[in-house]
Amino acid sequence: MASYLVRRLGHMVLTLFAMATLMFFLFRLLPGDPTATVISPSLYPKAQEAMRQQFGLDRPLFEQYLLYLRNLCVLDFGFSFQTNRPVFEMIQGRLLNTLLLILPSMLAAYLIGAVIGAMAAWKRGGGAEVSVVLTATALQSAPLFWLSMLAILLFSIKLDLFPIGHIVTPGLFPEQDWRMYLSLDFLHHLALPFLVNTLYQLCFPLLLMRSTMLSTIGEDYIELARMKGLSERRVLFRHAARNALLPLATTLPMILGWAVAGSVVIETVFSWPGLGLLMIEAISRADYPVAQAAFLLIALLTVLGTFVADLLYGLLDPRIVYD
Amino acid sequence: MDASGSHSLLSISGLSASYSTQRGRASALSEIDLDLGKGENLGLIGESGCGKSTLLKTVMGVMPGNARIDAGSIAFQGRDLVSATAEQRRAVRWAGISMVTQSALNALNPVLSVGDQIAEAILAHRDVSRAEAWRRTQALLAMVGVAPERARDFPHQFSGGMRQRAIIAMALALEPPLVLADEPTTALDVVVQDQIFRSLRELQQRLGFSLLLVTHDLALVIENCERVAVMYAGMIVETGPTRDVIRRPAHPYTLGLKNALPRLGSREEPIAIPGGPPDLVDPPAGCRFAARCPFALLRCHAEPPPLTSIDVGRQARCHRAAEIDTLAPLAALPRTWDALRGQSLDAPSA
Repeated sequence: MASYLVRRLGHMVLTLFAMATLMFFLFRLLPGDPTATVISPSLYPKAQEAMRQQFGLDRPLFEQYLLYLRNLCVLDFGFSFQTNRPVFEMIQGRLLNTLLLILPSMLAAYLIGAVIGAMAAWKRGGGAEVSVVLTATALQSAPLFWLSMLAILLFSIKLDLFPIGHIVTPGLFPEQDWRMYLSLDFLHHLALPFLVNTLYQLCFPLLLMRSTMLSTIGEDYIELARMKGLSERRVLFRHAARNALLPLATTLPMILGWAVAGSVVIETVFSWPGLGLLMIEAISRADYPVAQAAFLLIALLTVLGTFVADLLYGLLDPRIVYD
Repeated sequence: MDASGSHSLLSISGLSASYSTQRGRASALSEIDLDLGKGENLGLIGESGCGKSTLLKTVMGVMPGNARIDAGSIAFQGRDLVSATAEQRRAVRWAGISMVTQSALNALNPVLSVGDQIAEAILAHRDVSRAEAWRRTQALLAMVGVAPERARDFPHQFSGGMRQRAIIAMALALEPPLVLADEPTTALDVVVQDQIFRSLRELQQRLGFSLLLVTHDLALVIENCERVAVMYAGMIVETGPTRDVIRRPAHPYTLGLKNALPRLGSREEPIAIPGGPPDLVDPPAGCRFAARCPFALLRCHAEPPPLTSIDVGRQARCHRAAEIDTLAPLAALPRTWDALRGQSLDAPSA
């Protein structure tokens, strides 16, 4: 187990290193001069030169690369071109906002999706199963931004149940602190994007659970469990669903990193000040340090998620042994 | 045999069941009559696909969704199971009738410990604490020759023989009066098979359950069962005391089965029965074995033979059962069956 963990951590560091390198050169390959927004071409050449020196942009590319790696190790992502604030500080708050929306929503999606998927498989062939599968497939194929806009149109504009966007009523909390997150106003703003995202995200676990359940139901041990005189519910949950859950449970942590990246759409439509919205803003304003850090963070979340998935599999399936 | 239902443990009469398939309904069981007394061992023998497993599943009440019972009754301790409610059937399962399944590897849930799977059967039927159920589980494992501390282990940590023993321990968990065994040792080597059956017989002497052993292995039936029923294409074609049935079969199919059994010290090659079982979606109008029978008459192809008594405790489903003593010597000759082989090859397909 210990040697497995060490090896696995080594892989993670390597993956992240490759990601960081890729990111560094990718941003330098972009057409145009990314520094143009900061070092205005209208400045005196002397002043431009001085600023380049200040940012270390006059050094050779390889030296810049080493400097970049060293800074990453101490979590120094530099300063935003736009706000001149440290990137790390900017991202922190935004990441929290995203996680508060995405994490509970993904958990709810998996929980509800797994239960409905299991029931659908159990009641195979009925009208209920057909309509559940059709609805899930349709929802999954619908664009998320369109679903979000429909939800806003119906629940916010027509029925006036939820606010149209933002994380709290603007101006209510001048400082972003814990009081804001504990307010009812925050929950009120959270509700609609949470519901839309959950509804959209539960389709995948639902359909996956249904198909793995269908193959599990045919197993001999399910028949034996029935013959033992266990109640249908016990056979369904303890024997069938417990086994069908294995592939499903392991997709959750892996998908989390992807879901954070995918928060771009829902955050944009709901003006939710999270990481996704920050990325969009950073890219449209050519704020490369911020965009770079956001991408790296998503890479980190994905790598961590895969790691958690591996460990989770070992926990759920006694046949898996780490060595 | 007119067994009076009062002292028979399991009494199946006139049972017919069918599956719905793409091509129509396939009659998997027809007019099954079986009686099993208390403490008695009955062997049920027949080739793959003859309906042995379907019969067991029907008795256990775990038929697949596309199957249904068309007629007949299954009386267990005098109560009909076919007309029982789902809740009544659930109560009979395992506590009344348990089953040793065919493939012990697939029959155990890979993510639950072996002990948990035995204990849950106890907890589902008896009002005992978890600790008590666990104590009984360990005692059961010890009884079938598995170290009790292995109860916490998962199925993949058990060997094939141990898994089969665990399944037997599970089947005996509630000390049911009737145990069904569906090819319990097919996946195991002969030595382990022998050990398993020896301990099964010992346990039977101690606990006194009846055993319905389903197999295609004639030798196992000879060693373990006083009575045997031979099944062909969803029907019982012959029943009787095992010794009598093996020595003097009363049905051409049983004669064929006996021929196919290799004998030690004999120079004779085993003779295979030519052809294959009939299509059960569109079963033959007459005897279901007629197309493969070297002694079939026109009458055999036209009208189905009834199951008739031929001796004390013996029945056969054959129009020519009375002449069997003259037919048996012919059935031992390879050319009797070869003639049929040539005929079926030359015959134009219908």
